[in-house]
Parts: sequence; structure tokens; C-alpha cells
Amino acid sequence: MLPLFILVPLFCLILLNVPPKAIVKRPAFWLVAALPLVQVFLTAFHPVAVWDEIRNPFNSYFIFNLSVDALSTVLLLSIGIVVFIAALVGRYTLSGETQRFNFFNLLLVAFLGMNATVMVQDIFALYVFIEVTAVASFILIAMQKDKPALEGAFKYIILSVVATVLMLSSIALIVMAAGDTSFAAVSSAIRAYPASVLVKVAVNLFLCGLFIKAGIVPFHGWLPDAYSAAPSSVSVLLAGIITKVSGVYVLIRMVVTVFGIEQSPQAVLMFVGALSIVAGALAAIGQSDFKRMLAYSSVSQVGYIILGLGCGTPLALAGAVFHLFNHALFKTLLFVNAAAVQEKLGTVDMNKMSGLSVKMPVTGATSVVALLSTAGIPPLSGFWSKLIIAMALWQSGQYAYTIIAVLASVLTLAYFLSMQRRVFFGKLQEGLENLTEARLGLILPAIILAVVTVGVGLAFPIVLDKLILPVQNILK
Amino acid sequence: MSNQQILLSVIFVPTLGAFLLPILERVSAGLRNWSALVFVLVSVAGSSLLAPLALKGQAVSVSHALPLGFNFVFTADGLAVFMALVSSFISAVIVLYSFGYISHYENQNEYYLMVVLFLGSMMGLVFSGNLIFLYLFWEITAITSWRLIGFFREKNDVFRADKSFLVTAFGALSMLLGFLMIYQQSGSFDLSVIKETFRFNPLSNTAIFLILIGIFSKSATLPFHTWLPDAGVAPSPVTALLHAAVLVKIGVYVFARLFVVNLSLGEFWHVAVPVIAGASALVSAGAALIDTNLKRIIAYSTISQIGFIFLGLAIGNEMAVAGGLLYILMHGLAKGGLFLCAGIIEQNTKTKDITKMGGLIATMPVTAIAFLFCAFSVMGIPPFGGFFSKFMVIVGTLQAGHVWIALIFILGAFLTILYLFRAFNMIFLGELKTPGVREGSAVMVFSVALLAFLSLAGGIFIRYPNEFVGLVLQPIFGMVR
Repeated sequence: MLPLFILVPLFCLILLNVPPKAIVKRPAFWLVAALPLVQVFLTAFHPVAVWDEIRNPFNSYFIFNLSVDALSTVLLLSIGIVVFIAALVGRYTLSGETQRFNFFNLLLVAFLGMNATVMVQDIFALYVFIEVTAVASFILIAMQKDKPALEGAFKYIILSVVATVLMLSSIALIVMAAGDTSFAAVSSAIRAYPASVLVKVAVNLFLCGLFIKAGIVPFHGWLPDAYSAAPSSVSVLLAGIITKVSGVYVLIRMVVTVFGIEQSPQAVLMFVGALSIVAGALAAIGQSDFKRMLAYSSVSQVGYIILGLGCGTPLALAGAVFHLFNHALFKTLLFVNAAAVQEKLGTVDMNKMSGLSVKMPVTGATSVVALLSTAGIPPLSGFWSKLIIAMALWQSGQYAYTIIAVLASVLTLAYFLSMQRRVFFGKLQEGLENLTEARLGLILPAIILAVVTVGVGLAFPIVLDKLILPVQNILK
Repeated sequence: MSNQQILLSVIFVPTLGAFLLPILERVSAGLRNWSALVFVLVSVAGSSLLAPLALKGQAVSVSHALPLGFNFVFTADGLAVFMALVSSFISAVIVLYSFGYISHYENQNEYYLMVVLFLGSMMGLVFSGNLIFLYLFWEITAITSWRLIGFFREKNDVFRADKSFLVTAFGALSMLLGFLMIYQQSGSFDLSVIKETFRFNPLSNTAIFLILIGIFSKSATLPFHTWLPDAGVAPSPVTALLHAAVLVKIGVYVFARLFVVNLSLGEFWHVAVPVIAGASALVSAGAALIDTNLKRIIAYSTISQIGFIFLGLAIGNEMAVAGGLLYILMHGLAKGGLFLCAGIIEQNTKTKDITKMGGLIATMPVTAIAFLFCAFSVMGIPPFGGFFSKFMVIVGTLQAGHVWIALIFILGAFLTILYLFRAFNMIFLGELKTPGVREGSAVMVFSVALLAFLSLAGGIFIRYPNEFVGLVLQPIFGMVR
């Protein structure tokens, strides 16, 4: 049944574009919102392994295998949540029916691209679907066609091309060594020649490409521009999930399943992770643009995931994946808040606003939830993932990195409190007396995400048990 | 109701009930206010119901095993019940006082939500038998005090709220690192497991140091004390609640929970902690002596008195620890009373600057007497409650042979008398500088009079609290007797 995760969006895409536009423009939103929602329910409440066993006629038409393990399940769930939220935000922030319709179409392309990325078992197919997602996101960023948007998209394309070249060369080298591109074949080839220079070069080239895609320091230059120039709904999608799937997930998958932790440069991963945490947080402190600050915060939080991955123990991996999931929740929420502020005030310059939570109580309160979760303050979900990463790091003797990871939360808290002080907390800015709360379409996603963030934080034993701790088995 | 259910409701009625308060306000503001008081009183009543069992040494416990050593454990032993009774009772008085105080301001929903949530998480922290849950509730109290300090929303208020959050969060994260060090050896955050693990091999000094950073930052002890005077921008009942009676006691309580009940401190720390506490007591007493902002004076006084509590608990013999615990009670009552008096004065004279006050004893006699009683108790003048606790702490120190440390603290006690008399003198005596000032509202005056009365009664009937503390300590020092 797994191909349906790709085929149904593809079919819907065709369905939206064959009939005359006038008929399909209105129902497009419902279709695009329903699909990810169904995916959320399927992955959250039914073990995906069951569908893996159900054979179906589609399988024989694919030249690549699809498979789902605990890691992919978490990702499928996150993709569903974020795409659904992005669809809602897009419906209420984009102007013009045509632009909305284009957005929904591209969203579907990105959706199927990401779904396929997390399920394929073949590095070439993986590359293809990363590109499918990337092409959709280039256009999404540039959708408004103004100068910053084109600049952001251009930067993203150029750096993505570099990443692509690195990954393709790596794949070429791997094919030379392994003769095949399936995960299993590559993995056994790499394990057979651990000392081979060719293999080492291939592994490192691929990882460099992924660092660019994930926006990790020092390859993060494109990320703040892309996030802040894109329309709100697109930054929700980009920050919440696209870079996480095409960069971070693939990195985890390659390191864990394909290259093997032992063959990967663990020290480099941990160093780059810690560097991202600190550099991203320090850069975020200096921002006065709401979205840019969130972008740097993303860089910093991805650092935690990479640090956990580099640590390499099963518990650290589970913590990293949990943080990936949490990051999708809270960063999406913050970008939804930013969208609400931008929608009402027409600006994201934090120096031009103050005391907004007087007039926008829901936006203000949900952003508090999100920022506390990001900073790892209990009882919110982000606390548990950071705690697990810290526990795993400490257990494996990485004391210095643990201290950096834990104390960097103070930096996170510092820039978010500064954001909260400038935007929401405090006295209402003069001239904003007539401000009202953003419309329901923007509040609703914020409330949903805040409830999920608090819920995951409180019901952490269930989430750990059902969703996160099984991830450890990948390494065993 | 079984004892387990009582224990859970002590914690979760206020924690969850807090979120109902904004909804109840839709019906009427009065309903919200009284519900807030009822939720807090549930904690008072529940803790008193648990007290007889806990004092007999039969701790009530609720536990549920969770993966990774995150066991869900709440235990009501003597120490926890004592702390819960003190903090929930003082909180109840403060909520009552708030009916009068806060009724003039905006954002009352947020106020009541945060105050009741604070009390609920305090209960959670006190009963928690697992370091991670302790940490969790610890941070919820930080979140609520962040919102409460910034309650008036002025730029400076919010800055100071952020400051206190950052300082305490830094401390908490350091403490978390210490917890991780414990976890590495014990494999669990469950305190009962930890106690067994460290029965014969002492905890490393680094871990103790990291945990102490957390405790000192929360209890506003040198060098992490500066956030507390700054937090005086909060509404007065909040400063009373957070910064005098309850919040700063969190650090002290965790110290007692970890280093008196469960783990043992090395010889070095029995001297080092009192020395830090002594420095903290002297420095802040000096600051209190020169400051002219009434709330800052009382806040510095809090820092100074917290030093005495740390002294008692860190010295670690039975007399000193009993004195330290009594100190928590007496100081909570008296200092809460002082802050609430300051609230009445501030609200009616519209200033916090004591140089602009004078002669208020003529216009607000009840407040003046209550202030004086509470001040006597904090100074340690017999027969007020504060005398006995201070006396026991110092006697305990002498018993342990630390004459110099005892002398430092006697000097601190002397300074306390100086700065409190100075404040009383400038506010209430002399010529009236602010004409037309009235006494506070009935419910506010009643609250301060109650606390002042209890400060006195606590001293005259010292037998009862002393016996209570004796029973609390029996399981801990029982072997020695």
C-alpha cells in the first residue's frame, strides 16, 4: 500500500489540472488539506508496517522499493501535519485565486516528493525525489516575483545546485564501488571496503551536499534569505518540513542505514552540530526581522538534531528524531504566528511593534508555547527531546558537547524572550489601537499546533513508547 | 477518597484548575476569584489530611513506572507535607489579599491563572519523588513568575522579568547537568533508586556544584541574587508570593530534599555552603541598609534571611536543620506579611520611595502594627516566631564547632535589626508627608493582620511547630538518636 502515499497526491495533481480551471479552483483547498490530514491519522493511529505487508498491483510498476520503518513513520507524520498547516495558512494569506491555486498545486508536488523521499530504498531514487521537492520549493519561494523573493530563490537554487553536484558525484563514485544504488547494496559495499579512499570521498561528498540542503553552519547562508523572502505559507512549509526532509532526514538515513555510523565522520557531525547550535543562536540574537530570527533559530535547532545523530547511540538517535518531530511542530507554529503578525501589520520588523498580545491574545499565547518548547523548557515537547539528546551525549562521555547543548538553551531563551518582549509582551504600540486578532484561518492552525505541542509534552510516555523509542531499533 | 487520590488532587486541582479560571471569568469575576481561593484551599486541606500519616512515618506514595527512568513518582513524606502546608497556607492568604489589591488592574485573568498555576506546580515540586518531575515543576514556576513579574507590561518590567527568567533558567540548566551526572551512575531519575545508588559512594563534587548553582539561582543567593530585588516591579502580592514566601524557598527545599534527606554532602560543603550563605547574608543586608525603595529593601532582606536557612540546612546537625525548617515557616509568614504591608503602603501612597513617606502610623495604624510585628519576627526578637528559628540555627552552628560562621551570622542578624528599624522609622514615624492617605481595604488589612498575628502566635506557641518539625526530622535523624 505504500505507493499510495505517492500515487494519491499524483492522481490529485492530475485531477486538479485536467478539468477547466474554473471548476477546480474552489475545491482545490479542500483536496489539498484533506490528503495530509488523512496521512496524519493513518500514521498516528495505525502501525505503518501493516500496510507494508499488504501487497498491491502498483508495486510491480515501480523500479524502486518503498519501505517504512520507525524513522520514516515519524517523518510521514510530521509531513502530514506541516503540509496541512501550510495549506490552511496559504488559503488565508495568499491573495488572488490563481496564486492560491498555483500554491496548492506546488504544495501537492512538494508533498508527494517528500513522502517519496522518506520511503525510497535507493540512493538514486532518493536523489530524484529530493530534486522534485526542491524544484517545487524554488518556485514557491519566488512565487511573489518581487526582488527579495527572486533573490532568495536564486540563492537557494545556486546552493542547491552545488549540493546536487556533490551528491551526484558521490552517487557516481558509489556506483563504481557497489555496482548498484539500492541502500542494501551500497551499505554492504561500504562495509566491505571501510578503508577505501574512494568510499571515504563518496561518503564525505554526499554529507557535504546534505549539510547545504539542511542549512547547517557554515553552509547556512541561503536559509535566512529564503525563509524571510518567501510568502508566509511557504516559509511555514520550508522551515517546518522541506529542509528537514531533504536535508536532515536524508542525512540521518544515509548515516544510519546506508553508510553506517562507524563509517561516518562522527566527530565532524558533532562538531558541526554544536557549531550550528551556538552560531545560529548568536546570529538569532542580533536579528530584528521576525522571520530571519526564526530562520537562524532553525539553524540552531537543526544543530541539536545533527549533534544527536553524531553521537550515534540508539538513544541519541531517538532523541534526534524526536527533536526533528518537535521542531516541525514548534517552528511551524512560530512561522504561523509570524504570518499572523505580517498579515495584520504588514511588516515583520520587530522594532515597529510592541504589546501585540493585548490585541492578538491567541497569537501571543501560542507563540509563548512555541518559544518555550524551542528553548527546551518543560513541560513542553521540546524539553523531552533535548533532554534525551543530553542524556545520550552524557552517557557516551561527550561532556563538553552536553554542556554546550544544555547551556545553549539559555541563548535560545534569550533571543526568544527578546522577541516576545519586542513583539507581544509589553505595552501596546501607539497607533495600533484598532488592531484585531488575525482571522480564524490563521488562529486555528496556531491553536492546533500549540495543543499538540503541549499534548506531546504532557503525554510524553505514550509518544516515546509508540513513536520515538522504536527508532532505536534501526541501530540495533 | 484514598490517600493517593488526595495526594494527586493536592497537586492537580490547582495546576489544572488554574486553566479554568479565565473561563469562569466569563460567568463572573467573583466566581473566578473565589474558585482561585478554593483551588488553593484544596491544597491546604489535602496537605493537612496527609500530615498525620506522613508524620507517623508512613509516606503516601503514587508511582507509575515509565521508560528511561522517568518514573512518575509523588511521595508525601514529612518534609514534603511540611513544605506543602507552609506554602499553600501562605498562598491562600495571598490570594485572599489579591481580591482587594488586583481589582484595580487589567489582565486579572492572567494574574489568577499564573498565581494558582504557580501554587499547583509548587505542590508538584514539593511532592515529586523524581528529579525530572521536580525539574519540570521547577521550570513551570519560572514561567509563571516570568509572566507575573512583567505583569504591568512597562518596558522596564518586562526587561526585569526576562532577566529573572534567564538567570533562573541558567541555574536550572546547570542543575540539569548535575542531574545527568547522577543519572549516569544510577540509571534512573527516581530519588529512591538514587538514594540506594549513592548510599556508599558519594556524589562527585562537580555534580554537587552544578546542582548548587541551580539552587542558589532560584533562592537568590550570592552571586545569583540580583534578579530578586529587580523583580520588585511585580504586583505586591506576587512579590510576597514569589519572592518572599514561596518561590525562593524552592531552592532551599530542593537542597533539603537532595542533600539532607537523600544524598550526603562531603565535609567540604558543610563549610563552603555556610560561607557562601554568610557572604550573601551580609552583602544583601548592607544593600538593604542603603536602598530607599521599600520593596527592594524587603527583597534584599529576603536574600539575607535565605542565608540563615541555608546555614541551618548545610550545617546538617539536628538542631540546625530543625531551625532551618522552622525558619522556612516563620520567614514565610513574616516576610509575606511585610510584602503585603508594602503593597498596602505603595497602593495608597502611590510611591515605593521610603524617603517620601513618614508618619503613616497615624493614618494606617493596623498596617503599621502588622508591619512592626512581622519585622520583629524577621529580626528575631523574642517571643516572635523568628527568634526561635534564628536561635536554633545559630546554636546548631555552634554545636558543630563553627564559631566564626556563627559570628558572621550574628552580625547579619544585627544588620537585619538596623535596616528594618530604619525602614519602619522612615515609613511610619516622623511627620506625615503624604496627607490624605487611607488604610487599605478590609480584606487586605485582614490578610496582613492575620500573618502578623501568626508570626507572634508561632513564637508564643513554639511548641507545636517545633514538635511538627521534630516529627518531620525523626526518620532522617532517627538513627542518630
